[in-house]
Amino acid sequence: MKKHLLFALLVGSSTAFAQSFTPTRPIELVVHTGPGGGSDVLARAMVIMLEKEKLLPVRAQVANKPGGGGVVAAAYLAEKKGETHTIGIFTGVWLTNPLTSNEAKVSLKDLTPIARLLLEPAVIAVKADAPYKTLADFVNAAKQKPGELKQSGGSITSRDNVVRQQLQKATGTRWQFISFPGGGERIAALLGGHVNMMVIEPNEAGEHIRAGNMRVLAQVNETRLSAFPNVPTLKEAGFNVTPVPQVRGVVAPPGIPRENVAYWEGVFSKLSQTESWKKYVADNQFENAYQGAAELTKFYEEFTGQMRGILQEAGVKTVR
Amino acid sequence: MEILSGLMQGFAVALQPMNLLWCFVGVVLGTVIGVMPGLGPPATIAMLLPLTFLMNPAAAMIMLAGIYYGAKYGGSTTSILLNVPGESASVATCIDGYQMARNGRAGAALGIAAIASFIAGTVGVLGLMLIAPPLARMSLAFSSPEYFALMALGLAMVVLLGGDSMVKALLATLVGLWLAGIGTDLFSQTSRFTFGRMELLSGIDFVVVAIGVFAIGEVLANMHERGGAPAIAVPKGLRNLLPTRQDLKDSRFAFANGSLVGFFIGVLPGAGSTIASFISYGIEKAVSRHPEKFGQGVVEGVAAPEGANNAETGGALIPMLTLGIPGSSTTAVLLAALVLWGFKPGPLFIPENPAMFWGLVASMYLGNVMLLVLNLPLVPVFAQVLRAPTYVLYPLVLGISVVGVYSTSSSLFDVWLLAGFGLGGYLMRKLDYPSAPLILGLVLGGAMERALRQSLMMSDGSLSILVARPVSAVMLSLALLILLVPLFGKFNAWRLKALK
Amino acid sequence: MKRLSADFWSGLALGGLGAYIIVTASRWEYLGQDGPGPGFFPLWYGIAMSALSLLLVVSSFSKSGKVDWSDAPRALATWAAFAAMCAAFKLIGFLPAFALLTFFIVAVMYRRPLVVAATVSVALAAGFYVLFPLALGVKLP
Repeated sequence: MKKHLLFALLVGSSTAFAQSFTPTRPIELVVHTGPGGGSDVLARAMVIMLEKEKLLPVRAQVANKPGGGGVVAAAYLAEKKGETHTIGIFTGVWLTNPLTSNEAKVSLKDLTPIARLLLEPAVIAVKADAPYKTLADFVNAAKQKPGELKQSGGSITSRDNVVRQQLQKATGTRWQFISFPGGGERIAALLGGHVNMMVIEPNEAGEHIRAGNMRVLAQVNETRLSAFPNVPTLKEAGFNVTPVPQVRGVVAPPGIPRENVAYWEGVFSKLSQTESWKKYVADNQFENAYQGAAELTKFYEEFTGQMRGILQEAGVKTVR
Repeated sequence: MEILSGLMQGFAVALQPMNLLWCFVGVVLGTVIGVMPGLGPPATIAMLLPLTFLMNPAAAMIMLAGIYYGAKYGGSTTSILLNVPGESASVATCIDGYQMARNGRAGAALGIAAIASFIAGTVGVLGLMLIAPPLARMSLAFSSPEYFALMALGLAMVVLLGGDSMVKALLATLVGLWLAGIGTDLFSQTSRFTFGRMELLSGIDFVVVAIGVFAIGEVLANMHERGGAPAIAVPKGLRNLLPTRQDLKDSRFAFANGSLVGFFIGVLPGAGSTIASFISYGIEKAVSRHPEKFGQGVVEGVAAPEGANNAETGGALIPMLTLGIPGSSTTAVLLAALVLWGFKPGPLFIPENPAMFWGLVASMYLGNVMLLVLNLPLVPVFAQVLRAPTYVLYPLVLGISVVGVYSTSSSLFDVWLLAGFGLGGYLMRKLDYPSAPLILGLVLGGAMERALRQSLMMSDGSLSILVARPVSAVMLSLALLILLVPLFGKFNAWRLKALK
Repeated sequence: MKRLSADFWSGLALGGLGAYIIVTASRWEYLGQDGPGPGFFPLWYGIAMSALSLLLVVSSFSKSGKVDWSDAPRALATWAAFAAMCAAFKLIGFLPAFALLTFFIVAVMYRRPLVVAATVSVALAAGFYVLFPLALGVKLP
């Protein structure tokens, strides 16, 4: 009798292990911005696409956890240890916050990486009536008046400034960086002639170029974007600078079982191959750059190391 | 005339039954959202996005816009009745609105708020329709030095809101500035005054402070009444529940003031409806023949800020539609919606989508009318809320405050902050520190510091940039004047006393 | 010796805050390479705060206003109840905690009969339940 029981137990538990994970209640999709912010919009679009392509048997709901530029959302995920029905969208700031902020105790290493989904390229733009036709023109002008030209951008740790730091180091020039809290204000500063240059997302620039207000000098990317066939990349323009990518991907709480991770990887790998996703990526001029969990972990290590070096050179205090 | 033909086209779109329906849905939803403290248009619009995919984009835009300006109508309700600001833009309305309610004139306050909102909202749409592109271009000339001067002008209004003790008013403002500075410094990413708590990294939400100091502080301060009878007398009779002809006459300037100030400040991407409502309030008090009555329940003190925050909607849509630049959190979500639907907001949006633009404009006229028709009859209904005994009303206020704060951030930490600020509000009342300057300092502090630092970066460290540019020079001189004139008056009084 | 007035104490408290701000701000960068640093603004308003607090303290000696603290026990008790409610959210959630607070206010603060207190508590809590999670989908603590 006991032997039968033992046998049944063994069979039962092995079946449980062989069983793959399927969600049974609504999924919580955590984002670190409020409604309307970058990650929030992506998440909502994602939810719509997941439903349309029938990739999930349950509903997915966006949970806004704003605060500290990602710190609150990361901490929230870390607290949900072992929770199989919660995932979050991470962006570059999740990777840089732990480097500069004491309060940002949760890094990607403390969570479960799932997948990298997108890369966001950028372009370098000036006002249409500016005297610079190429990036070299701008750099030369900066050489002649060190510290006088101005660039509008986000915070000191943002990609805008990283590009600036890399260019300054590669060319031995210097120009000012003025932070504005919102994309709208940065563009207004450029169009109003208060700053000379900015690093801007391609689709934002697109409309202003069509209207004749802006000119793009170079692309911050490895390869040329389809929307800008005539604009050189940084390397092509003669600047020995490897663009630091701006990423978005999916991450999960720590301590979840392997089948859970495999399930999520499967869902997002399939998503990145669907037509609706590809269309979304093309419309927003992103780059579809799927990487699974293992590669993402490697990418994270490289990226963090690179960023640490760049930030230290920029004079930003790094705490980790 | 191009505008006329555009408008015709717009009304043709807006008057279609489906679009009318969605407009109505939008404004009703907006009003409800506005009444509820904390829950705001950005979150609501974001939640409705999946639904909008099933709709025709014009109808969806009409509805979402209806939520946007509808919320401004509703925001004044809890401000006036319960001293709980429904939205950050409604804080200025609390100052005189709540006092009017305490004086038994809740109905008049609510009514004037609705009327001012209607007039200003319509003016805002008119502005959007007539001068959007040139105004957008002009607004680009506005940059950090001008923003700093504008904020300085707003802060100078402190003097007008001060009350008896200038020292205490200034101290309250400084505390507000300090609270505004809590968080991560934008430029250097240094954490300031965060006491190691990550919840403070993005600073203290203004709504938490406002609801804490105003609403909870008020409840605590009124605990001495053991009676429990309605604290506020609600007069019987419909005539007493609506604004009188005298009220309307008194508010004439406030209507104009609110509309213009709100609209022009709304156009600026960096300034929002809160600043607009405070500046409008300040101007109204400055030109009034009885400034000392402000703060005790004057009808212009409600009409001006309410008008300003409604006209701001029309203004904020201008940079959004003509340049693709969001001017506020709500316009940011609306922009995201446009992108999701496949549009490309930017300078070419209006020329390439005339039906959408004019349909929106026409629907806004209709929406404002709908809101007036909806809100005015509801005024007597809402005023009855005050009939409830205080022991029902006050717990209600406490509960709504918590829900309001929690719904914006889902953070228990914020609820604790609310409790803390509630106690602070009580102490301020007891010790005679005016609370409006605190709020003003909090609202303007962050933006002012950023604008100053950006200006100095632009000028390579020279302060002269602030006076070299005409617009900022004018505003700064105005601010200086506002600050000095009362001092002058006090100096004169002191001199006269000394001579006796 | 004249009794120290409330203005004196609040002035002192604010002076303390001002001093704290000055000390903390002086640890940050005042003027950086690109412009004023994070310490610039706080230092100045810290100084202003300390100066004005001093003014307040000094002027408090010549003024004679008295603050009526007679309602303080009731107000503070209510606040304590509010704080207790906030603490209880994690344990029992918003609705029961709020009902308890309401009960406290009606029965203790306003000395209404227990039946009235209970009715009001349940009615308001029910109202919140219907309005927020049910009708609007707003989460309660």
